[in-house]
Amino acid sequence: MSREDEIDDRGFKRDLLASLPNLRAFAVSLTGRHDKADDLVQDTIMKAWANQSSFTAGTNMRAWLFTILRNEFYSQMRKRGREVQDSDGLFSERFSVHPEQYGRLDLQDFRKALDKLPDDQREAIVLVGAAGFAYEEAAAICGCAVGTIKSRVSRARTRLQELLGVSGESDYGPDAGDAAITSRAFGS
Amino acid sequence: MSDDEDRKKDEMTTIPHNELRPGAVPPNASISRKLREFYNAVQEEGIPDRFLELLERLEQAEKNAKSVNAK
Repeated sequence: MSREDEIDDRGFKRDLLASLPNLRAFAVSLTGRHDKADDLVQDTIMKAWANQSSFTAGTNMRAWLFTILRNEFYSQMRKRGREVQDSDGLFSERFSVHPEQYGRLDLQDFRKALDKLPDDQREAIVLVGAAGFAYEEAAAICGCAVGTIKSRVSRARTRLQELLGVSGESDYGPDAGDAAITSRAFGS
Repeated sequence: MSDDEDRKKDEMTTIPHNELRPGAVPPNASISRKLREFYNAVQEEGIPDRFLELLERLEQAEKNAKSVNAK
């Protein structure tokens, strides 16, 4: 092994590690639960490792990993068949696994609402609104047109507003001042 | 420019945050904020040990395979 190869290997692992928290959050968003998400991340790591040679150094590793994870997710879903639509009972089971991880009650409500979106809308709004991808990158990850992503994000927003009963004011009355602080603190 | 045109221009421009009345949050802003809050909460859990161990094993397996090939 040449010295250059060794440096490349270390770079690959380092970049992979750096992307993991974000990748894992995407997996939790897709699967709706931590245990399944972690299995999915594990499969993704193994696929990515085995296909290191197909990754072009200097390109966007995060987008590459997200694409692998997404493909893996849908191929596993196809194999298993679509799981039974969530009932309220299943929800409470799912969200009682790590209730503390969702903090405030309204964040759990948000999780439930997010889970009710169609898969294509959920992944679109998560990629663009939380994972930090541009519309173009999200389109490449999902293998669809940029316009498709835009309309999915827009439909997802509308649906989430309906599900959460957000009317624009009063719902967030006392907390409204926190919005700017939160978005600064979490600045994306 | 007429007053009418001024008003139209104002209506079409997104209202900056600091001009919103207290208690009023644009619906999309609160949805986006909650989405990021949820996502960041998962990100901040860090990397579970199982993944660090998995990467160690993969790296070790690769080294072993290469040293065998080199012989």
